[in-house]
Amino acid sequence: MTAGTAVLHILVFPGFLFLAVLGLAGEFVDRKLYARFQNRVGPPWFQPLADFVKLLGKENVVPEEADRPIFKLAPVFALAAVLAAFLYIPLWGPKSLLPFDGDLIVVLYLLLIPTVTFFLGGWTSSSVFATLGALRAITQVFAYEIPLFVALLAPALLANTWSISGIVHYYSAHPALWPVNLIGLCVAMVTLLGKLERVPFDIPEAETEIVAGSFTEYSGRRLAFFRLAVDCEAIVAVSLVAAIFLPFGLGLAPWAGVLLYLAKVLFLLAVLALLRTLFARLRIDQMIAFCWKVMAPIAFLQILINLVVRELI
Amino acid sequence: MPDKEKIVRVPIGPQHPALKEPESFMVDLQGEKISSIALRLGYNHRGIEKGCEERTYVQDVYLIERVCGICSHSHSTAFVQAVEEIAGLDVPPRAKYIRTLIGELERVHSHLLWLGVAGHEIGFDTLLMYTWRDRELVMDLLAELTGNRVHYAMNVIGGVKRDVPQEQFARITSVVDALEERTKYYVELAMTEETLAQRLSGVGYLSKEDAERFGAVGPTARASGVDRDTRRDDPYAAYGELEFQVVTDTRCDVFGRAVVRLGELMQTYSMIRQVLKKMPDGPTSVRAPLKIPTGEAVSRYEAPRGEDVHYVRGNGTDKPERAKVRAPTLANLQSVAKMLENGYLADLPIVVAAIDPCFSCTDRMVAVRGTSESKTMNWEELVQYGVRWYRERGIDLSNVKMRGEVTA
Amino acid sequence: MNESETVVQELQAAFPFLAGRATVQRERRVWVDVDRDKFAPVFGHLAKNLGFTNLLMITGLDAGADLEFIYHLARSRGLIANVKVRCPKGESVETITGTFPGGHIYERELIDLLGAKIDGLPEGSRYPLPDNWPKDEHPLLKDWKPREKGAQDA
Repeated sequence: MTAGTAVLHILVFPGFLFLAVLGLAGEFVDRKLYARFQNRVGPPWFQPLADFVKLLGKENVVPEEADRPIFKLAPVFALAAVLAAFLYIPLWGPKSLLPFDGDLIVVLYLLLIPTVTFFLGGWTSSSVFATLGALRAITQVFAYEIPLFVALLAPALLANTWSISGIVHYYSAHPALWPVNLIGLCVAMVTLLGKLERVPFDIPEAETEIVAGSFTEYSGRRLAFFRLAVDCEAIVAVSLVAAIFLPFGLGLAPWAGVLLYLAKVLFLLAVLALLRTLFARLRIDQMIAFCWKVMAPIAFLQILINLVVRELI
Repeated sequence: MPDKEKIVRVPIGPQHPALKEPESFMVDLQGEKISSIALRLGYNHRGIEKGCEERTYVQDVYLIERVCGICSHSHSTAFVQAVEEIAGLDVPPRAKYIRTLIGELERVHSHLLWLGVAGHEIGFDTLLMYTWRDRELVMDLLAELTGNRVHYAMNVIGGVKRDVPQEQFARITSVVDALEERTKYYVELAMTEETLAQRLSGVGYLSKEDAERFGAVGPTARASGVDRDTRRDDPYAAYGELEFQVVTDTRCDVFGRAVVRLGELMQTYSMIRQVLKKMPDGPTSVRAPLKIPTGEAVSRYEAPRGEDVHYVRGNGTDKPERAKVRAPTLANLQSVAKMLENGYLADLPIVVAAIDPCFSCTDRMVAVRGTSESKTMNWEELVQYGVRWYRERGIDLSNVKMRGEVTA
Repeated sequence: MNESETVVQELQAAFPFLAGRATVQRERRVWVDVDRDKFAPVFGHLAKNLGFTNLLMITGLDAGADLEFIYHLARSRGLIANVKVRCPKGESVETITGTFPGGHIYERELIDLLGAKIDGLPEGSRYPLPDNWPKDEHPLLKDWKPREKGAQDA
């Protein structure tokens, strides 16, 4: 791969531009499905893009008491981390753009960075609502991150590799084994709601309590980039889940592979939208209790199953 | 430990997404727990009581109706009942039945509205969308019967303004049937949905003793086991001739308040059917004098949110000497601080919402006056101000046409 | 004899000076007119001994040289006792928050809108007028008129 094509890959396809388009499309799918589930009409297809463009043109307000560099840079870091993570996830082929052994761990940490930037952005805003939102965001991390990590590590344990591409490769070679991880898939999807801050885990931005949480003081293009980062984070997270838990049909022709990938992403987005339609927002203490007492044990059960299965083969 | 540095003061209101109207709750937080709370009311004071004294009784009926958008019929009924008592008017039975009918339809739309708001406050927007979709049925029906979705203007002193003809009964029945089906579904949902129960049970506890001590009214009091309902205790309109049960609950929490409101909805459907069956023929109003004699009366009305109390004193002219309004929220707000004791910030919106607050009813008055910091601008001045504001920022709007005229 | 008449008789038995001043207006409506110095015992008797445990509201009126307060008390089954008391402008009445802690908001309303003076009312923010409203202007007094729309403060 020459430097030129590498830059093209990273910036355009299947890199940043592709991810951004996918992110906005994903937001549309989510909002439309959410609306349809609720018996509403929902937005037109270009609404997320229109929102983004509109926010770009709005006034940028930085609170006087805010820690300016961090406040201004937080959205950039969020977006950059999400984009970087995307490059290590195999989308339709068995290999990602830049695979190496251990990239699973790197991706998991890169996906943690947006939450950290929400915390930093909120904390440095110096508004009470943003501060509370930031504290809740960071508290919530400790609840959902462990089950999510464990659920994603279990398939790796079975495949005996820390590389996502390696995992995908292993499961395409042993197609009978991927259904073993179904429990992990469920745990991952539920905890993803926490990572993406959606109902019932949208506690850090519960609008009826703390307005918009960490984002309360953000406006204009910084808010636009934060929102884009959240949209892209959803796509990256869903792609990761698709790659690890639904690793079939990877040897198809490129166009069919892309279609299948999009179908998987669409399916998982639909599940996420359905989940957020069904529940009321939990309180932070209930959320933590749920993650530790229900989700974590189930995730560890998956580890146990995978260890047993590995011994059997 | 009540460590001063660990306490965060959060202003909930006067402008806040959880509150649909301006009201201020200063909440001191320790972590996520509420350590103290200070209420400030009065942001929506509109001078209605003073306004009533300076207008005729006929005008007052319309003004009083605007005390509240949701329970507009409640307030105007309470007011005209007091005036009718002073004037010694004998309201025809058909008018009483029509008042009851509109009042109960208003209760349906208010309780469905509450259910949606409650859902929204705990982040369950699906419930909000569903209930408000169903609420459209009763809103449309009210528009058909009275000509308006809110502010029905059905009451006049001495009766009601419009008849509800027999041809509309079938339509009312069909709407009530449809809503009854939907309400049953919500009752089932409330009883089985896990996150809903988790968010509502045990939240905003108000014991029976406290409910009585702080003078709670309406569903808030009834959910704490206080058996109090003006429709039964002090019957007005046609309620003395209807059969219904007062729904109470002993849970004393937000969940109980939801159960009471859902139970009341079911009672209301049965009452509407009885009204349609029993409605007598006859005139819909009697002629009322413009000048109301000297005298005073207290009138009570069980509004959807609780008891409305109106006091009117006449002085022999066409304007009242005094008109006083007590809206249910003012009575219920006293218990909110009690309910929030040792609660979580996350529970504050739903606890406040659970009394079904209506702050515009509560406040009622403000006089139009300028303060030293603000000034009143007319349209031209506002346009000039806007043009100037943008010009200072490098955008010239001075050639833009507004209202068909070119402003310089 | 109905419930209202019983209440009136019980009141007159306990307080002979109420003869002719406690009346039945109609079913479920009792009016009691009481002097300021006798108000506390009559009010306490109604609230504690006769079961009027629900304070509906307090109405304040501008009656020329006096302010007139009407305490609307209710008991179960819909009976209302309206206790009237007159107080010369500038003088004060006792608070009722000892019996009805929720009643403070009605008393604050009297203070703001009529300039009433209430003894023993705990400290608290004013209601319902804004904080920057002049302390000596009370909109519900008959001689208070709203200013012309658009008029500016000095």
